Amino acid sequence: MALVPDGQIFWSRTKIDILKAPETLKPYGLRLEVYGEYEVFWDGVLIGKNGNPGQEADLPPEGKLWTTFTIPAHLTNAGEHVMALRLSNYYYPDHIGNYGLKIDYYDDLLTDRLIQNSYMHIFAGAFLITAIYFLFLFLGNKKEYPALIFSISCLLFFGLTMTHFVKTTVPIHYSLHVVRLEVITSLMFGISFLIPLYFSMQFPYPKWKLFLGIYAAILLFIFSIEHHLFDLTILNMTLSLLLFSLCIAVFGVYKKAKGALLVLLTLLLCIFIRHYVSLNISLFTGFSLILLNMLYLLSLRIKEQRLAYENSLVQSTRLRLELLKKNIQPHFLMNTLTSLIDWIEEAPKKGVLFIEALAKEFDLLNQIENQTLIPVSQEIALCRAHLEIMEYRKEVNYSWEEEGINPEQKIPPGILHTLLENGITHSLPLKDNSIKFKLHFESSADYDCYTFLTYAEIVKQASAQRQEGTGLKYIKARLTESYHDQWELTSEPAHHGWKNVIKIYR
Amino acid sequence: MNVLIVEDELRIAKRIERMTRDIFGSTLQSLKHINTLHEALRHIENSELDLVLLDLNLNGDNGFDLLTKAVSESFHTIVISAYKNQAITAFEHGVLDFVPKPFNQDRLAQAFNRATSKEKIENSKIRFLGIKKKGRMQLVPIEDIIYIKGAGVYTELFLTDGRKELHDKSLEKLEQLLSYSFERIHKSYLVKMSEIKEINVSSGSKYMAELKNGERIPIGRTKYKDIKAKWL
Repeated sequence: MALVPDGQIFWSRTKIDILKAPETLKPYGLRLEVYGEYEVFWDGVLIGKNGNPGQEADLPPEGKLWTTFTIPAHLTNAGEHVMALRLSNYYYPDHIGNYGLKIDYYDDLLTDRLIQNSYMHIFAGAFLITAIYFLFLFLGNKKEYPALIFSISCLLFFGLTMTHFVKTTVPIHYSLHVVRLEVITSLMFGISFLIPLYFSMQFPYPKWKLFLGIYAAILLFIFSIEHHLFDLTILNMTLSLLLFSLCIAVFGVYKKAKGALLVLLTLLLCIFIRHYVSLNISLFTGFSLILLNMLYLLSLRIKEQRLAYENSLVQSTRLRLELLKKNIQPHFLMNTLTSLIDWIEEAPKKGVLFIEALAKEFDLLNQIENQTLIPVSQEIALCRAHLEIMEYRKEVNYSWEEEGINPEQKIPPGILHTLLENGITHSLPLKDNSIKFKLHFESSADYDCYTFLTYAEIVKQASAQRQEGTGLKYIKARLTESYHDQWELTSEPAHHGWKNVIKIYR
Repeated sequence: MNVLIVEDELRIAKRIERMTRDIFGSTLQSLKHINTLHEALRHIENSELDLVLLDLNLNGDNGFDLLTKAVSESFHTIVISAYKNQAITAFEHGVLDFVPKPFNQDRLAQAFNRATSKEKIENSKIRFLGIKKKGRMQLVPIEDIIYIKGAGVYTELFLTDGRKELHDKSLEKLEQLLSYSFERIHKSYLVKMSEIKEINVSSGSKYMAELKNGERIPIGRTKYKDIKAKWL
């Protein structure tokens, strides 16, 4: 409702009681937040001018929203005084009124705000640096979305702080103030969405994308209705943010997620703070607490990742050693050497062939020793070389068949070789003194599947259950190393001997 | 000699077989090769054997069961294994010898010599004697044995707690294995030297060893001098 349309002049008078006169040479000052261009009179004396009242339509906007004036010392004796504004409000005639009036020593009025501002700038700067740091972290590892979200949240919070305290540093004409408020509300909207998004990623709950979608819709609704009541919009968005985050944290605590309890306590503290201090202060303390929490969660995750990474390094080294050990562990090496000596003593020519087979296996093993995935053709060559050696040792007719193999397909090194070793160790030859191994490959839309069959008589084990040997452990560790949990291994007796199936899911 | 070879590597089994025939020559009465644990256990149960040559790693099974079974029997056991670190365990259980792979005929002959010559071996590592009790294997710690008495083809172990256990090995074979701490003081007695409290001569020039637990055991007339010297 326009009280004074068309930017016409009107007067506003305020009675002010001065309880104590200022000290000598230290004049009082007056700070105003008033929409409009005006002249200020104190006890009928003009003490300041802000823009051109009454001429706004003809002249460009002049003056600023927040102003400070000195009051001449001789006019500030104890007693009643009148402050009058000769004012026009051309741009926002429905915003007539005095939004802020403060009287204090003029020096203090100026310096207090500067001091407050300098603190807030340091505060904002900390969040800016954090935002940049985590942005770089994200750029270094593009999968780290929590780091990105945290970075953006910090940046928005930096923006919020800067925009909020911009009034001291940048003069803003009252007609442009709505821009500042729009910016603040939009930043709040972004933060209100990002914080629950971040918590959702840290403490995932079922259908979290759906819930987050609903939340975003609610937030948009709050943002759009009564949009011009900026404080109300901000308050409502903050409350929804707290409420939703609280639910996520409660779920996280229920699921015993690391750090969830701390988040829950912080959110409760924020609600507590909101009750006892003004919206502005609770906004800044609350958000900084929440952001600190997010930082803490990130550091927890980073630590977890580092531990997992170190673990994987150790694991890879261990697997590599295990692969290398295959051919120097005493059972293989000493039995092979004993047989070899015997061949050399009894049939030197065969002995030479035996040595060549041995050389071939060692050579192949050397080629694959430091890799985590090798072409299946290489693995098959290794198996064939191994069979050749075992034929000299066990004097059994071993044969190898393969079906549907794609030679370029990659698999972890040594896993078929390990299955083959197990097959040889636990089998007795059939009546015709033969043992056959067959490798079958099939590929479907969901998975690749290797079937490894042993055609032999399986040795009865003295101990009732067959324990999981180091061989199977090696295979499982290798599969985990390359495919995480996207694989399946079964190893079981079959009517023809033994059957191993390795499924690798896409 | 009745010899059993337990080995799942055919080429190595053939090698042991060939060398065994070479070393024993005409004294070899029977020689059998078995390649599974299961069959070996059954065969040991049902045959008269003098010597068993054992590989401890059969078809991926650790041969500990087979080892305890073998050492509780009347025959001597020689372990032939790729794992040198099993030697201590083997000796603790009272095998006659441990032959690491790869081996040659000389090493095998040396091991066989222990079995045939009844030579005493200085096995300080032996810690157990395996006995069969109600069809199950038990290990009797050597430190629990005070003395051993020959009882036909068997022996009786007299223990510190007063118990008496039967063992399948002859006194001669045990003397071979236990010579580090035990002495044959009589044709029927093998006594731990540290258990003898006094050696005295009773009337009719009977020599007796008085043990720390008060028991008195005769000392063979021919052995008295040796025993006295060793005991002092």
